[in-house]
Amino acid sequence: MLVSNPINSFELVFPIMEVFHIAGFAVAIGVTAAVDFRILGIVPLQQTPSQLAKSTQFWMLGGLLVAIFSGMELYTSDPDMYYTNWSFLIKMACMVIAIVLNYTIHRKVAQADDTSGGAKAVAWISLVLWASVIFGGIFIAFIRGGL
Amino acid sequence: MLLSLAIALQQTGLMRALRESGHGYEILLSLHVSFIALFGAMIAITDARLLGLAPAGYSVSDIVDQLRVPKRVGFLCVATCGFLLFGMKAEEYYLNVFFRVKVLLFLLVAVHALIFRSSVYNCSGETEGPSGPPARAKAAAVASFLLWFGIVCAGRGIGYIHPPPFSHHFALARTPGPLNTVSSQTASSRDEANGLSSESAPRVFSEKGRRDAGL
Repeated sequence: MLVSNPINSFELVFPIMEVFHIAGFAVAIGVTAAVDFRILGIVPLQQTPSQLAKSTQFWMLGGLLVAIFSGMELYTSDPDMYYTNWSFLIKMACMVIAIVLNYTIHRKVAQADDTSGGAKAVAWISLVLWASVIFGGIFIAFIRGGL
Repeated sequence: MLLSLAIALQQTGLMRALRESGHGYEILLSLHVSFIALFGAMIAITDARLLGLAPAGYSVSDIVDQLRVPKRVGFLCVATCGFLLFGMKAEEYYLNVFFRVKVLLFLLVAVHALIFRSSVYNCSGETEGPSGPPARAKAAAVASFLLWFGIVCAGRGIGYIHPPPFSHHFALARTPGPLNTVSSQTASSRDEANGLSSESAPRVFSEKGRRDAGL
């Protein structure tokens, strides 16, 4: 028996999932960027990077889970288009690297309250990766070429 | 009147240059969303703290006072990108019902600030009692959260509505060329000829709209 994908059957499901996708990414990327800015010394917060990272880890994980699960739903609406879209592939690559970085090197740097040159480089890499995820997501709609 | 202003704005040299710059619109849109991420996270954290939720271990004044300046900077960046995006396709945005809802919600955010600024945000040190934030602080947080979430929803909805067939942008999407060749008077005449006002602009969700909305 064929069962149609609800995301393609009801026109409002896709935009609603998109809103959750964006909101999830906004929270996850926003709090990660706050830690990065604290390491870089750009935002004058009283908290140390470790305190900030500890108090926002729930937000990071929660936002990321919402973004990933809503993103998987969005992907099922047109897998062929997404799979063959360069922008989507770049977005996925950047996201995987950003997540791995966040829970390994980035976490160590933040927990050590390290604000040396190396730590600042990690913070910049993290910011660039997460920004690339957003740029990749937006450009999916504008880039038709792919594999 | 407002439509004429919108058309005049999109015909300025800056907006024309941005429109004709290849990926200018997409890059600005990406920057707009990136700044929304920074700004939105700070709003969400402030609202959650006013509700007595996470992040634990920080007083309300810690959160509100420290995030005040970063939030203002974030909003300035979001608003600047938003204004440039609007200016590039001002007529199309003007006729878009979701854009109008978004503007209305921004006005309500201003009203929210007027109502709660003096009683919650400017006296955050006195906001929290032994039993947590008072009801007025929680009301401010719930209203703020709903308004900003509504703005995100309306902003996302903008991409799903096609430009109406009588708009300059729609016509130019078919025949690329300089936008300033069409006057606002012509648009008004076309509206009358088609029996359409801006309020009766087509509101269509479609497959193309879905693709164009991106993400």
